[in-house]
Amino acid sequence: MSDPARTMLRRAIPSPRRLLPAVLFGIGSAGSSIVLLACSAWLIARADEQPPVLYLSMAIVGVRAFALGRSVFRYLERLTGHDASFRQLATIRASVFERMLPIAPDGITATRRGDLLDRFVSDVDELQNVPLRAVQPLVSAVIVLVAAVIGIGLIAPQSALAVLVCLVVGIGAALLVQQRAVARAERTTAPLRGELQAAIVEHVQALEVLVAFDAAGAGRRRIDELGARYAEATRSRAAATGVAAAAMSAIGGFAVAASLAAAVPLLQSGRIDGPTFAVLCLVPLAIAEVATAVPLAASALRLARASAARVAGAVPDVVPAGIPVMPDSPAAPPAGDAPPTIELRGVQASWPVLASPEGGRGASTAAGTGDRRGAALTRVDLVIAPGERILVRGGSGAGKTTLAHVLVRFLDYEGSYRLGGIEASTLDPADVRSIVGLVEQRPWLFDEDVRQNLIFARDTASDEQLLEVLERVGLREWVEERGGLDAAVGERGALVSGGQAQRLALARAMLAGFPVLVLDEPTASVDPARADALLRDITEAASRAGRSVVLISHADVDERLVDRVVTLEGGRVAEEHPYPSTIS
Amino acid sequence: MKPLDPRLIRRSRSARGFLATGAALALVQSAAIVAFAWALASLVTGLIDGMPPADAVPFLVLLVAAASVRAVAAWVWDVVGSAGATRVKAELRSELLTALEAEPEGLSGFPTARIATLLGPGLDALDAYFGQYLPQLVSTIVVTPILIAMAWIADPLSGLVLVIVLPLIPVFMALIGMATQAVQRRQWESLASLSRGFLEVVGGLSTLMLFRRAERQTARIRAVTDDYRSHTMKVLRVTFLSGFTLEFAASLSVALVAVSIGLRLVAGDMLFIAGLFVLVLAPEVFLPLRNVGAAFHASTEGVAASVDAFDLLDAAEQTGRSSDLRVVAVADATNEVTDAAGGLHLRGIRVVRGDRVVLDDLDLDAARGEVVAVTGESGSGKSSLFAALLGFVPIEGVARLDGARLGAGAGGRSGVAWSGQMPALLAGTIASNVRLGEEHADPALCTRACRLAGAELDPELRLGPGGSGLSGGQAQRVATARAIHRLLARDAALLLLDEPSSALDAGREAALGDALHELAAAGRIVVVTTHRPALAARADRIIELEPAHV
Repeated sequence: MSDPARTMLRRAIPSPRRLLPAVLFGIGSAGSSIVLLACSAWLIARADEQPPVLYLSMAIVGVRAFALGRSVFRYLERLTGHDASFRQLATIRASVFERMLPIAPDGITATRRGDLLDRFVSDVDELQNVPLRAVQPLVSAVIVLVAAVIGIGLIAPQSALAVLVCLVVGIGAALLVQQRAVARAERTTAPLRGELQAAIVEHVQALEVLVAFDAAGAGRRRIDELGARYAEATRSRAAATGVAAAAMSAIGGFAVAASLAAAVPLLQSGRIDGPTFAVLCLVPLAIAEVATAVPLAASALRLARASAARVAGAVPDVVPAGIPVMPDSPAAPPAGDAPPTIELRGVQASWPVLASPEGGRGASTAAGTGDRRGAALTRVDLVIAPGERILVRGGSGAGKTTLAHVLVRFLDYEGSYRLGGIEASTLDPADVRSIVGLVEQRPWLFDEDVRQNLIFARDTASDEQLLEVLERVGLREWVEERGGLDAAVGERGALVSGGQAQRLALARAMLAGFPVLVLDEPTASVDPARADALLRDITEAASRAGRSVVLISHADVDERLVDRVVTLEGGRVAEEHPYPSTIS
Repeated sequence: MKPLDPRLIRRSRSARGFLATGAALALVQSAAIVAFAWALASLVTGLIDGMPPADAVPFLVLLVAAASVRAVAAWVWDVVGSAGATRVKAELRSELLTALEAEPEGLSGFPTARIATLLGPGLDALDAYFGQYLPQLVSTIVVTPILIAMAWIADPLSGLVLVIVLPLIPVFMALIGMATQAVQRRQWESLASLSRGFLEVVGGLSTLMLFRRAERQTARIRAVTDDYRSHTMKVLRVTFLSGFTLEFAASLSVALVAVSIGLRLVAGDMLFIAGLFVLVLAPEVFLPLRNVGAAFHASTEGVAASVDAFDLLDAAEQTGRSSDLRVVAVADATNEVTDAAGGLHLRGIRVVRGDRVVLDDLDLDAARGEVVAVTGESGSGKSSLFAALLGFVPIEGVARLDGARLGAGAGGRSGVAWSGQMPALLAGTIASNVRLGEEHADPALCTRACRLAGAELDPELRLGPGGSGLSGGQAQRVATARAIHRLLARDAALLLLDEPSSALDAGREAALGDALHELAAAGRIVVVTTHRPALAARADRIIELEPAHV
């Protein structure tokens, strides 16, 4: 295990004080179940000697008390354990988030795609299982097992030794087999599952095309073949983990036999009485049951460790090259609300190369693109005058999004980028973002109502102001139809179309009043028939109030909407002209 | 949720065989448990009564053998469970894919993402269902009654205690479940949104940074998570009660049995060996039930997945039935066909999707050599027209190409080449994408199709999953090339292109127009939907669709 992963795991463990109640209740519960069986065995064996009932009363009380204790302690163990792990979850989430801040968003692989994001978040949340399913049960079980073996040892050292050997061999075998099964799963099962899933997703997503081209059969054969190989791998893994489970199940019987055989000489020599002998024979059953917690905790720990490694890999300790760092003593940003002149001279920039979230595997199918999200800028010279509206065109791989991210200081640059004459790298990146705003290609909508999705851009805005800005982006009618500002947008904006999401994001940016606004491919996820209208509406809305506008688009726009067109090609400005001269 | 979906047994032969094997193994396990308890009781009582150690050896051997048999049976169960799971998974996957292929446009209520999840992780969740839950369920049904019967034979009073306590457990759990359900349902929604709080902040991080709101989120994360904790704990306090009931009933009945046996032994009313036998057996009676409870939790995802899978299959069957009816309607309508000449002839085409009529009473004729543009607002049914001609959606009316019927059914789309609004490219080389379904065609056709579509890319360039690695415009041109390749390779008559120029600049759009005329000149029919005036203007004829009214 790499060091960052271990640090991450350690951070997931709550302070001993917080974990203590659950550990104690766990000891109480497991201990009770062993003592319950001991008491019961002693009671029955002693009763067989037909003493006066008085002699049995302690045992009878004990049996009832420990029966009750076992279940009550177990209930309390689960409650306190969950409480401690949830409390730790707040700490884990906050500390991971704080590590993300200096490198976000472009230094973090995990937020780049929806599925990666889901996994990252569930990986972070998985860490709460470290105390709940690994540390606490393990500590409780080990303490009880040690105490039980010592307890037996006080009566019959030979039996204690026999039980100990059975426990060590059984648990050891189970852990070993588990370990090997997991290693094998990582080697064969997981990649096969990934391949199968990729084939299925592709098949389902392209089903129309496959059927229309009479090519569905070939896809099905590939899925069946991968499915058969995956099934074979899962079967052999199940056979291996089954051995571990069987070993744990056999411990009880073998420990009983061993303890019994070791205690027989003591019984015959009269050093122990009948009831004690019965206890020595039966108690290993309860001990073995407690021992089953150990392999379970180990496999929980293994799962959490994999999550910790992924989280640690996704959120590196050091800021990767290409991500802006906060200057030691930031310069004062240009004053005033008017848009400053933006001057780019020989700007070079590239995306940080990040560890693949799949841990290197599976990257082979990513068409050799590695994990750079966008193209580099090789040399960009560009001046944007205050209030100017420019269109940045270019094919995929020309560096359009890279340029947008340099402008808002998500990405670092070499060369010179001046805002109103001040070098951007000497400013606090947050101050740059108060001047230059960006409407992203796929804007994030929070799972709240429309008001909440707008108001954080300017928390003093009144409902009337919100509706007014919605009017300007052509959404007022739509919002009012849905019940006004309280209308929900759904999880990740599920209830709104791509075009409406863009309009909402633009409304948000306009509320914030950025003097310079960058619009990155606003029509990327919009139905082609509606794209032109959307582009016109939002460019018109954005360019009011003397704002500078940088519109990034692969498609042409109405010539009246922009003052100038810049074409990017291979990371540099290939062509620059006022709009009407060449395109008609 | 039902403990066992009857559809699983009805649908899956593998599942039935699996349950039968499981029942047999559960019998073996019961026998091993009883033998173990008997051997242990005999050993302890015998040795205390002064049995010579040599006589104890056979019992000891039986004890170890019984423990081993039990462990081996558990292992076989694991293997059988896993094999059963993989077989049922393969069966379901294959049935689901077949059902989906019959409805390539998808089923309402089953978006692609849900289907992909169902076919992958969803079906994988059946591993826990088959590997853990079902074995425990079968054990409960088979093992528990046998053990109670054995306890009864040894000591009727203990048997009675077990018989009384055991059924109380499900009753109490049901009562607690009912009492908590209302609480839980109320909590559930707030829990779900609270648990998403962190995801929202992480996912929206770049947005928050753009609005300089990111730094303040740490406190919010703590607050939201703490809120989540206190809400969840309220629910858990109640939820864990059902687990408590189980544990409590199990240990209480062990205590009851032990005390009652003890008191009767003192009075000399029963045998030591019988008492010890029942004491060892009593916890085993409750074990399967306790395990079912735990495994049920682990398998809920699998149960949900199997329910999802059966819902999808049922939905597909429903749709299948209704489209069979439609085909009959088409067959009747074909009697009215008068035009036996070549070309495309559509008469009174009506397409219904769900409850919505998307296309009503459309007539369209196109002769070979013609380029026809179909225009109309978004939602006017342009794409539905293509889907109907391809047989993806049920169609009423007459649709004939060179006299043969178009649409679903054998050969219904053999003379049609199509490209949709979404490029939908596959992982693999550009050439393998273009030659999809026509892998044996002359490689020169691939070059020609790419040239016509303006997809001048390296044919050996490898694309990632979903065709990633190309820009939107490039992907669109490759998809167009794929349709043209099929048209050429099959010598098909009809080319359908859905918004082929939406991501193209003016120059490429003009080139595409030329290419369409070149294809039409060779005697093919080209129908293209577009919202772009420039492309529409290149067609020989423009058909304007208006949204259909019910």
